[in-house]
Amino acid sequence: MKRVALITGASRGLGAVIATLLSRQEYDLVLTARGQEALEQLAVSLIGYGGRPPTGTLRGKVRAIAGDVANPAHQRALVGAAQELGRLDILINNASDLGPSPLPPLANYPLEALEQVLAVNLIAPLGLIQEALPLLKASGGLVVNISSDAARVGYPGWGGYGSSKAALDLITLTLANELRDAGVGVVGVDPGDMRTDMHQQAFPGEDISDRPSPEVTIPFWLWLFGQAPLAVSGQRYQAQAEQWEVRGEKE
Amino acid sequence: MKRSELVFDRPGRLEAVTPPEERGLGRDDVRLLVTTPAGHTHAHFRDLSQFLGPGDLLVANDSATLPASLPASGSVGAFTLNLSTQYEPNLWLTEPRWSPDKPGPLPIESGDKIQVGGVSAQWVTPYPGLPALWFVHSQSDLREAMARHGSPIRYGYVPQAYPLEMYQTIFSATPGSAEMPSAARPFTQQVLESLRRRGVNIARVTLHTGVSSQEVETDDIEAETLYPEPFKVSSSTAQAVNAARREGRRVIAIGTTVVRALESAWDGEQVQPREGFTRLYIHPGRGMHVVQGLLTGFHDPVTSHLAMLYALAGRDLIREAYEEAIREGYLWHEFGDSHLIMM
Repeated sequence: MKRVALITGASRGLGAVIATLLSRQEYDLVLTARGQEALEQLAVSLIGYGGRPPTGTLRGKVRAIAGDVANPAHQRALVGAAQELGRLDILINNASDLGPSPLPPLANYPLEALEQVLAVNLIAPLGLIQEALPLLKASGGLVVNISSDAARVGYPGWGGYGSSKAALDLITLTLANELRDAGVGVVGVDPGDMRTDMHQQAFPGEDISDRPSPEVTIPFWLWLFGQAPLAVSGQRYQAQAEQWEVRGEKE
Repeated sequence: MKRSELVFDRPGRLEAVTPPEERGLGRDDVRLLVTTPAGHTHAHFRDLSQFLGPGDLLVANDSATLPASLPASGSVGAFTLNLSTQYEPNLWLTEPRWSPDKPGPLPIESGDKIQVGGVSAQWVTPYPGLPALWFVHSQSDLREAMARHGSPIRYGYVPQAYPLEMYQTIFSATPGSAEMPSAARPFTQQVLESLRRRGVNIARVTLHTGVSSQEVETDDIEAETLYPEPFKVSSSTAQAVNAARREGRRVIAIGTTVVRALESAWDGEQVQPREGFTRLYIHPGRGMHVVQGLLTGFHDPVTSHLAMLYALAGRDLIREAYEEAIREGYLWHEFGDSHLIMM
């Protein structure tokens, strides 16, 4: 059975890891990121030249469309590409804006920068979900919103990014309740600290080589995508935790 | 805890290379070493109920063994693919081996195509931190391929192949384990009947085992990577365990898999109904909360299972028990003898 996934922030780090995993499971993919060159390089690495896999391989098709996820026209283009592929099973809101680097304390956080962080991390995911809902309802699909422990802890300097992710967590939980009857699952995932470009931006000039590479989260993603969306909907997972639970029988 | 603390010498002759039935014995005729803080007692498994009392709660794993070893082929030629853990119908974590007695690594590239039990498949990616294990995506459900071409996973120390029934236990109900939850293998109807007469209760959990725990390789054993296994603790079992603990009755796990499932369902105060995947690693630094006893087999040096035994009973008592077991000629592995540890 053909399955289609849409991944934002797909060109590097965690997004590229998930895109690669899904490609090797024959998902058709719609990928986006701001940088066209890196995105096209990834697409080529997944399936070869031309956007279509050579015959006989166990790979899906890939549509790579560079752009800004906060732009409503780009959101429509991405969902339109999924529509052309025939369906949408998984939407992964992974693209995130860290805000200014080094991370400023809230006392003098530039408010225009905070508006930009919220536009990318909060408004854009909801816009994509709204746009994609008809397809997600038709497939009984799953929305994954990438969160962070910064959403819960109150680390100094992380107030802008953290508050956007805290609000996204509440959107996740609310949508899970609102969309359960429509058969659409919505989960939040805190991937944990990873050795990525974004993590380096948060700690400019520091050695982050002790953090694991984003590949460490692979078993979690393979587990999550194997679950029925409604069995996981409303949960907030930590990808590097000791265990991942489904909603089981309740007392 | 250091890796060196898990090292001991076990003579090669102490491996059970056939099921007891092949040695003219019943399943419950295997030997039973009983270890308590007061010392060690030698008995037979059929006498298990003598070491338990009214109100004790035994918890069993009801997972059944799959014929999880499949013939496979690819650019490297013919090889054996042992399926460890199912993530979805067409996605398994696997251990590719040259043959039952010859482990990998095989020269594998992500994206390469293979044939597994007559089904087209491809390598997805290695398990992070465990390069001997690979995720495999197949074009159809490999459980169907198993039904046609699979056999129970077997390693070099068991020279002969045996039918799947030899790898099921009296509790086996839910197929899903790559390897037999072997602590329950010696249970027979007679043993269950003697336990019932003694007033011992039995509850069930499910944990589908993956392929055998690999030898600990890191120097600090707490840093070792363990892969997750599917588990389920039902609300009725959670209630039975919590009631026993509340009333001061003993809870005894049949096998390390049961300890892993129960500890994964522990919320800090009691056991909750839970279902999911767990990679919980129980070692002395973490401790154990739910069970007071463990009925198990004999474990190899430098394995995570041995670290779990240390967490229950302390390193010194377990090392003493293993010296006793080696001196008395107890047998290791899935067809071997049993060890009841009661604290």
